[in-house]
Amino acid sequence: MTFFFIVTLNGLTLAALYFLAASGFSLIFGLMRIVNMAHGALLMLGGYVGYSVVDMTGSWSIGVIAGGLAAAAAGAIVQAGVLGWMQGDELRQTLASIAISIIMADLMLWYWGGITYQVELPEALSGGLRLPLLGVGYANIRLALIGFALVTGLALWIFIQKTRMGAIIRAGVDDQQMLRALGYPINRIFILVFALGGMLAGMAGVIAASALSIAPGTDLQFLLSSLVVVIVGGMGSVGGAALGALLVGLAEQYGLAYAPTYGVVFTFAIMVLVLAVRPQGLLGRAEQ
Amino acid sequence: MRYALIVIPLLLLPVLLNDFWLTQVMTRALILGIVALSLSFLAKYLGVVSFAQAAMAGAGGYTIAYFGPNSVNIGIELPFWISIPLALFLATAFGGLIGCVARRSRGIYAIMITLAIGIAFFYFTRQNYALFNGWTGFSGVRAPLIGGISLRAPVPLYFMSLLSAVVSMMLVSGFARSPMGLAIQAVRDAPGRVMALGISVSTPIIAAFAFSGLLAGTGGILNVWYQERISSFSVGFGPIIDILIIAVIGGLRYPSGAFIGAIVFVMLDTFAVDLVDRERFNTLIGTVLLLIVIFAPNGLQQLVMDGAAKLRRAKQPTN
Amino acid sequence: MSTESLLQIKDLELCYGSSHVLHGVSLRVEQKPLGILGRNGMGKTSLCQAVIGMHPSSAGTIHFAGEDITTLPPEKRAQMGIAYVPQGRRVFRSLTVAEHLQIVAHKGSAWSIDRVYEIFPRLKERRHNLGDRLSGGEQQMLAIGRALLLNPRLIVLDEPTEGLAPAIVSEVIDLIKMISDEGIAVLLVEQNMHAALAAVQDVAIMVGGEVVETCTAEALERDAALQKRHLGLEPGQKD
Repeated sequence: MTFFFIVTLNGLTLAALYFLAASGFSLIFGLMRIVNMAHGALLMLGGYVGYSVVDMTGSWSIGVIAGGLAAAAAGAIVQAGVLGWMQGDELRQTLASIAISIIMADLMLWYWGGITYQVELPEALSGGLRLPLLGVGYANIRLALIGFALVTGLALWIFIQKTRMGAIIRAGVDDQQMLRALGYPINRIFILVFALGGMLAGMAGVIAASALSIAPGTDLQFLLSSLVVVIVGGMGSVGGAALGALLVGLAEQYGLAYAPTYGVVFTFAIMVLVLAVRPQGLLGRAEQ
Repeated sequence: MRYALIVIPLLLLPVLLNDFWLTQVMTRALILGIVALSLSFLAKYLGVVSFAQAAMAGAGGYTIAYFGPNSVNIGIELPFWISIPLALFLATAFGGLIGCVARRSRGIYAIMITLAIGIAFFYFTRQNYALFNGWTGFSGVRAPLIGGISLRAPVPLYFMSLLSAVVSMMLVSGFARSPMGLAIQAVRDAPGRVMALGISVSTPIIAAFAFSGLLAGTGGILNVWYQERISSFSVGFGPIIDILIIAVIGGLRYPSGAFIGAIVFVMLDTFAVDLVDRERFNTLIGTVLLLIVIFAPNGLQQLVMDGAAKLRRAKQPTN
Repeated sequence: MSTESLLQIKDLELCYGSSHVLHGVSLRVEQKPLGILGRNGMGKTSLCQAVIGMHPSSAGTIHFAGEDITTLPPEKRAQMGIAYVPQGRRVFRSLTVAEHLQIVAHKGSAWSIDRVYEIFPRLKERRHNLGDRLSGGEQQMLAIGRALLLNPRLIVLDEPTEGLAPAIVSEVIDLIKMISDEGIAVLLVEQNMHAALAAVQDVAIMVGGEVVETCTAEALERDAALQKRHLGLEPGQKD
């Protein structure tokens, strides 16, 4: 029984990480219909920058912010410099974002090398906690992860649902053309949202590099998880990303614990099942 | 007639080229071209850009490795005249299965789903030892001996690949004109209308994916013979993207572009050492892809055709 | 330009892919409201989209308040004072009524959210409802209210009475008159001839992507033959 609880807790912390990673991906997809294949690379950039900054300053919080900002800037450049010029041609944008992710991953490999990094944790997060009832120790950072995900999800929800900028973004998701006809330069909004999505990815990268570690290939791992999370949960909704992350995170951990050589099959089975029943994802809206 | 103009010089290549050029460049380009053809077939006739082609090719390749002579002592050795049809069948079936999963998704959704399938297959081969031998995979895979001649020898492998490429091209154009091929194109153009006629949309989509699996599997089998090994890396993100890059460079809308793209890709891969640091090949190929997407979204084939049309117009006297 | 019209369209051509939908349309819109009439598929909505900038024209020019806006994107045109009330209303389905108005409202503009609520008390009652929870009439009010908050000099309305109950149609007609009285120029595209004639003074009739007739609303109202030729349901149109 203890084993089951530990596995469940592992699943929840993984789900928290997947949610942090997928929320930006989902946000960008929801507004712009861009499958941003460079999302994993943005996450990895955040993780590396976060590592270097923590290494330099010794402050974990500054590292998280720096990682977020670096990925936000990179995201804005990608949208303003490349993808924005191909507006409306989704396939081309997807292909271009693949090219960008290949280049980014290779340049990061060049600069940071093929070593595995782990971001040093602040004292408050570095210890472990003896869990009540179960009587086993559990890493603080993993518990904090769940907190980060909740705070990020809530902040994102308030931003989208309760602010004027959020209303403009929702309007853009509903009807881009009409939003332009009301005087909004959609291109600037796109750049802003790309920066926001990049920031979420970058911060997730630093947190992933703290709770787990970061190395070449991390980008791909989180790109896959983000894809599956939004396919399962529904494209372009914060709630969908949360639900998708929960299902995928738990499935992966149960799979790993109970059927090690077929773990990924669980994740995959969930995706196929959802696609068969609801092609738009569990909380997604049907395409017109 | 047009085929003859291209094929006859290709038949003469073994006389003209040394083993390096014949095997490392030409044979490799033909094999990659066949796999990329399976992608451009789907892109052109079904309108779906699939990222699961490496997985389909892997299904063919892994079958050959599992049921063929290998040096990791996994699997059962079967005669090649059983293992080859079996590999083609499994690749086709796997393609159909992927089509079945992705049948209700179009456009970017289909991209996301096929990519998820492709990467999931990669992770699966890494985790599973019983069938795929984990991330190390199979090595020492030997191509069949026919009449004492190994198919892996440079000239036989080249001819085998050339034959497969020509047959694949003929199959694609024949299949596209068949009733099922026409149904596939109807689904691409107006799925709603096909459904309104009371015809199932699923069957043509699954058939298209299955046919694409057959092509990819053909390439996958040849690739295992060529590499003499297959592992999770053969179906990872790298190969997934390489196949896409080849098809995009050649032009997604042109089946023959797959081979043009493959030649360009192999030349870059082989001679990149002279251009850039060997380590930075990915930056180079990523930049090439980005430039193609920005400046020639329809690929080199279109670029060549546009150029030829311009030349022809320039030659004509203006009146 | 010697005679300055608010909106001046000259020899406008527009294509969707290979189909040519506008064939050299020329029009002037002054302060007096102008109605564009014509049957379905005659290019009326395309004309609106060209004026708004949602679809690029392939030839010809559009001038607004003396400036060439032919190549300007829709957001620039909106900022210059062209508001759009589109066919089918196109309210944002995931925004509340209040949010619709908030994202368009500007401080110091002649039109405030309170003023819109004054004209449409119904919208105030339903201000917390989402766009897709409104009735057709309410959506139309919201689309018009949203357009007014842009503080426009010209409002382009595309089939505002489509699908509305007769009582609401006459409300919309009164509203268009009120907008015009406010000094805002009106370009009204309608299939419902009677609604249009009640709301505007001048009309232009479009057939097959061309303006074939321009006259006053009164003249059209009296000329049954003209109505029948271009707007009636009988066959006889070019291709």
